[in-house]
Amino acid sequence: MRLHYGEPQVAIGIAFVVIAVLLAAVFVVGWRRSVADVPLERVQAVGYWVRKRWLAFLCALLVVVVGLSLFRLPYASGGTHGRVVTVKGGQFFWSIDPGRIRADAPVRFDVTSVDVNHGFGIYDPAGHLIGSVQAMPGYHNKLDLTFHTPGVYRILCLEYCGLAHHLMQASFTVVR
Amino acid sequence: MEAAATAVVHPRYVELDVAEPRVTERHAAWLFAGTGVALFAVMGLAGLAMRLTQAEVLGLSPAWFYRVMTLHGAGMLAGALLAMMGALWYVVRQTVPLSMGRLLTSYVLIVVGAVAVVAATLVGGFAAGWTFLWPLPFHAAGQWSTWATGTFLVGLLLVGAGFFLFCLDVLMKTTETYGGLLRTLGVTYLRGRDDSPPPPQVLAATVVAIEGLEACAAGVMILVALISRMLDPKLTIDALWAKNFTYFFGHSVFNLIIYLAIGAVYVLVPRYAGRPWRTTKPIVVAWLFTLLFVMAAYSHHLYMDFVQPGGLQLMSTFASFGAAIPVGVVTAFTGLMLVWGSRFRWTLASSLVYLGFAGWVIGGTGAVLDSIIPFNFLFHNTLWVVAHFHTYLLLCVIFWELAFVAYLLEEAAGATASRAQTRLALGGMGIGGYGLVGMWYLSGVLGIPRRYAAHPTGTAGYSLAASIFVIVFALGFLVLLWAFAGLARTARARRYEHVEVTDTWSGGRWPVRRRLDEPGAATRPLPRVTEPLGVVFTGPTQLGLAVAAAVVSLAAFFPQVVEASETSTGYHHLDHAGQFLFGALVGAIVASLPRVAARLDRRTADLGIAAVIAVPVVMMLVMLPSLYGPVEDRPALHFLYHVGIAALGLIIGLGAGALGKVTGRIALVLGVSMAVMYAAGVGGG
Repeated sequence: MRLHYGEPQVAIGIAFVVIAVLLAAVFVVGWRRSVADVPLERVQAVGYWVRKRWLAFLCALLVVVVGLSLFRLPYASGGTHGRVVTVKGGQFFWSIDPGRIRADAPVRFDVTSVDVNHGFGIYDPAGHLIGSVQAMPGYHNKLDLTFHTPGVYRILCLEYCGLAHHLMQASFTVVR
Repeated sequence: MEAAATAVVHPRYVELDVAEPRVTERHAAWLFAGTGVALFAVMGLAGLAMRLTQAEVLGLSPAWFYRVMTLHGAGMLAGALLAMMGALWYVVRQTVPLSMGRLLTSYVLIVVGAVAVVAATLVGGFAAGWTFLWPLPFHAAGQWSTWATGTFLVGLLLVGAGFFLFCLDVLMKTTETYGGLLRTLGVTYLRGRDDSPPPPQVLAATVVAIEGLEACAAGVMILVALISRMLDPKLTIDALWAKNFTYFFGHSVFNLIIYLAIGAVYVLVPRYAGRPWRTTKPIVVAWLFTLLFVMAAYSHHLYMDFVQPGGLQLMSTFASFGAAIPVGVVTAFTGLMLVWGSRFRWTLASSLVYLGFAGWVIGGTGAVLDSIIPFNFLFHNTLWVVAHFHTYLLLCVIFWELAFVAYLLEEAAGATASRAQTRLALGGMGIGGYGLVGMWYLSGVLGIPRRYAAHPTGTAGYSLAASIFVIVFALGFLVLLWAFAGLARTARARRYEHVEVTDTWSGGRWPVRRRLDEPGAATRPLPRVTEPLGVVFTGPTQLGLAVAAAVVSLAAFFPQVVEASETSTGYHHLDHAGQFLFGALVGAIVASLPRVAARLDRRTADLGIAAVIAVPVVMMLVMLPSLYGPVEDRPALHFLYHVGIAALGLIIGLGAGALGKVTGRIALVLGVSMAVMYAAGVGGG
């Protein structure tokens, strides 16, 4: 199996590294300034000024990020969304019907399990994880996707399910 | 002595007028911290074995890999929980008379639970993961037997019961010491009606206790449901229900370990900064939001279960992000402000505390990113998840656990480790720790799944690099233990003085070692509080409403209601919950009557604690289909069975009544909630 840097994950990873480095820098500065002798009143005056703005920034960020994320939810909604692909997970196999999907046409994965919880993780032909949905016994999770790139899409189990969890693989093919 | 003390604390610290810990508190702290560090070391080796296997260096079979994985998670939970329970108890007991007996009972329950987990995994082969997600424990694929499942579940049940007991005692004593829940949570202070709020460690303890009780109630319920399923295969469990409560328990308890730790950090930082960490209005607001957010955030574990109600997903998104705000804006920010320009006393302990803050906020950032649903779609159950929770567990909680041990040693030794030891230890652990989690973050970006005995072809290099970082961490940890040993030797030497003794008969003289009193050995008496404080239903209005509710819940016994409830097992269990509610209300009403309440004391409180822990377990266990199925066709027996359920309710009502107004009410609500929630997810028969 070949894995490559998927674009959205890389962007998120870089954002994380930037934030982590900035946070680490704050702690390094805090460490260097710790040995100075600054009156507590002065620290509090500046600190409270910064804290108010920091709070406002984080609250605004919460509203913007969470608000924007609500427009990109992966949850299927509404009636039938293109062709239905039935997916059943079991220890330690996937049953995917049909196994050939047409490119550029919407499909709805109807995912369930015949025994324990599994995770239906879809990797594109280049090895990017493009998303996942859980397979839960007694429930049907529905995922709407449209594939634009033909090729073999690999499925890995993304919920620990027992002895051969790491071997629970399958694939389907996207064709023009 | 004075000069030695100022080597490990800030010169201004003595001006803060902080009470010295008592000897019993030190001993308890050592017991808990020692067990926690020992478990961390052993479970860390288990973690290294897993990484080396993924790196294709070590050849653990998948069966053993998943056993070790299950043990690693459960063992780390028990170890970190124990260590931070001891640390919080130690700092809170300076002002609150927490019970040593109850603490030790918690310890025994958790340690026996941990031993059961070890037996279930290493001997019995149990490998369903520490999250024991239904129905995996019953689909062993030939790897473990029923006894192993039962031993594991009972082991975790004991861990949950131990933490539940700890939370009950903390909540009882904090609210009794500070005069009610609102005052203890600082709400009265926030409203300007109180100018002496509790110290922040008491706020932390109270919030943790409330959340811990809720989490453990959920945990006990799901664990008893699985034990019942083991005893009776006819019993059915709804998978979505089980997943919700499993993560409500697991997510919350792991989060609470951090909040337990912060209670100790509130006391440690002023020692080195020479500035007090006082309760302010932002701190009160932060803890109130934490109380709200930590419980509401668990559903992010179910983002990829699309059948989960959308409202819960939305609530979880806001709560998961929101939970970071009190940390970033108040706790970590205030910690940084206290350190800034303070002529901070850098010791081994204070350095670990400071590094722990960094681990918390960096790991928290990784967690917040993962809590955004479209991002979670790309990261769910990849190694990104492992990365972020190890950042704040390994590089924050464990650092604070070790900081607490270092503090105890520094305090006893009156000295800190050498600069070389400190640099080597922290350098190794810092580089090793961040290198390890860095490899996981990178692997998460690549989409490599978590919990794989063998990683996808071509990706073993990341595990190899991570294993090297683990070894670097372990070397740093060994240096830390070396430093600890040095401090322990110094502390031991300080506890003895060399004096020359003269034999009165022979006139001979020889030197002997004489043990000195430990610092603080002149034990201060504990503050006295009434136990229990208040009754569940106060005044005629509340008693009248409770009687009215009890009369209404009598409907659960009406033949028409019983008959109608038999259309489904769930409804029938709900009817049982109604009968249980009736008994619980009657019990609480009786315990609230002035004549009865006047007889309640510490001994009845102990019995009350036993009742509120044991009765819900018994109540759920007697709802086995094989137990009540045979009596359903025999009206007299069926009625007696329902009376028995109500009798159990009566016991929990009386028990809750013996715990005082705040804790009793919470225990009563949790007991009845467990009966109702159980009905929502368990069926069969």
